[in-house]
Amino acid sequence: MIKNLNNICNQKVFEKLFNTHAKDLRRFLFFKTQDMNLAEDILQDTFIKLWDHCNNVNPAKAKSFLFTVAKNMFFNYKKHEKVVMNHQKRAPKSSNYETPEYLLVEKEFLVKIEEAISTLPEKQKEVFLLSRMENKKYKEIAEIVGISVKAVEKRMHLALLKMKDKIGDV
Amino acid sequence: MRENLTTEGSYFLAKWLDGTISDTKLRTLVSEKDFIDFKKLKNGLDLLGQLNRSVKPSFISVKSSINQKINVKKTQKSFKWGLSIAASILIIFGCYFAFNSLDTSYETSYAEQKTIKLPDGSEVMLNAKSVINFTQKDWDTNRSIQLKGEAFFKVKKGSTFVVQTPKGQVTVLGTKFNVKHTHAFFEVVCYEGKVSVKNDKNEHILNPGNSIRKIDGNDSEKYTSKKLFPSWVNGESSFVSVPLNYVILELEKQYNIEIDASKIDESIIFTGSFSNKDLKLALASVFKTMNIDYIKDKNGVLSLE
Repeated sequence: MIKNLNNICNQKVFEKLFNTHAKDLRRFLFFKTQDMNLAEDILQDTFIKLWDHCNNVNPAKAKSFLFTVAKNMFFNYKKHEKVVMNHQKRAPKSSNYETPEYLLVEKEFLVKIEEAISTLPEKQKEVFLLSRMENKKYKEIAEIVGISVKAVEKRMHLALLKMKDKIGDV
Repeated sequence: MRENLTTEGSYFLAKWLDGTISDTKLRTLVSEKDFIDFKKLKNGLDLLGQLNRSVKPSFISVKSSINQKINVKKTQKSFKWGLSIAASILIIFGCYFAFNSLDTSYETSYAEQKTIKLPDGSEVMLNAKSVINFTQKDWDTNRSIQLKGEAFFKVKKGSTFVVQTPKGQVTVLGTKFNVKHTHAFFEVVCYEGKVSVKNDKNEHILNPGNSIRKIDGNDSEKYTSKKLFPSWVNGESSFVSVPLNYVILELEKQYNIEIDASKIDESIIFTGSFSNKDLKLALASVFKTMNIDYIKDKNGVLSLE
């Protein structure tokens, strides 16, 4: 197809843009929507739109294009949701805010967690990241790091304690 | 409290994070406030995990949506291809039929005669400077010929045989007849069978030996001849009471010469014949009898005086 390395229609260029911006965009969309699935949907639609306009968007401007499109799609979704809800005469989900499960996760809180993780001792951090971010089982982590499962559990336990102390009253 | 949390030998926080210990169990192990903090922390961690998870699955799904779009475009393209192929086939067939139904054409030049066998075995003898057109396709059911000039037809029995000239239409079944059409001169002679001659106004049935002709703006006239075939077939052009200009035209056709008749009266009526094989003899037999002098000038034009 198009060989031009400066054109988003080039699949390699497009993939690179995806890998560079998708995570940031997903995070951005999550804090707007507070809904992981919706964020994922808008993320995909946004990149499909980028592909549709691949001939008209300068790769250097791709980031601002992506975030603008994502924002607009989010607003459109909200508008649509409002219409649907008005139509259905249904109140928005009434969450029970008394139980912690429904506590809204604030962006600032996530930043705090990330900071807390970064201040963990190296050994705890390694295990903790493998467990929480890479979704590895304690047994797998034990194999990777070369320690016992018990030692992994100990590091996890201590890491969580330390983080709670660090973050303090949330 | 802190001691309580750390000295527990089973590292319950790890097990809770792992899901092996439930929220309810944790609640019994820590204070309510601690539980809420831990719970919040875990939610945040889960979310972080989700936000940091690989974007590869998202990319795969985006890519498949894009590919679907490309495929839709491609099928539209191939649909167009299909259309153009269909169009090409139509054009090819169209050309085939057009060529098939196109006229077959025979033409004679000056001083030339041709005998043409038609698809059904009928014969057309073309006199000099004449053209016939006909359609070979469907010849058996549609025997129709366009004629300019003069031709003698021997028509095999079969469907209606039509000779079309700008002056009239000759329809026959199976017969021998001569049709002559030059300028304003139209003559049909029937030698065998029955011939119908139709023009805009009238229809005339010709029996063997009957002739009909129409010269210039005059009315059609009928006359009889006892011949079995036109004289030109035997290399002779014969005329019965024909204005001289048509005789001169015939001379020009048969010998490919140019005759300047501006100094004589061309409307004189001529009866007689001339040979199509000997120019000297022909000129003598026409003009000597009419008392007309003829001189060949430098340009090869024959001037009549």
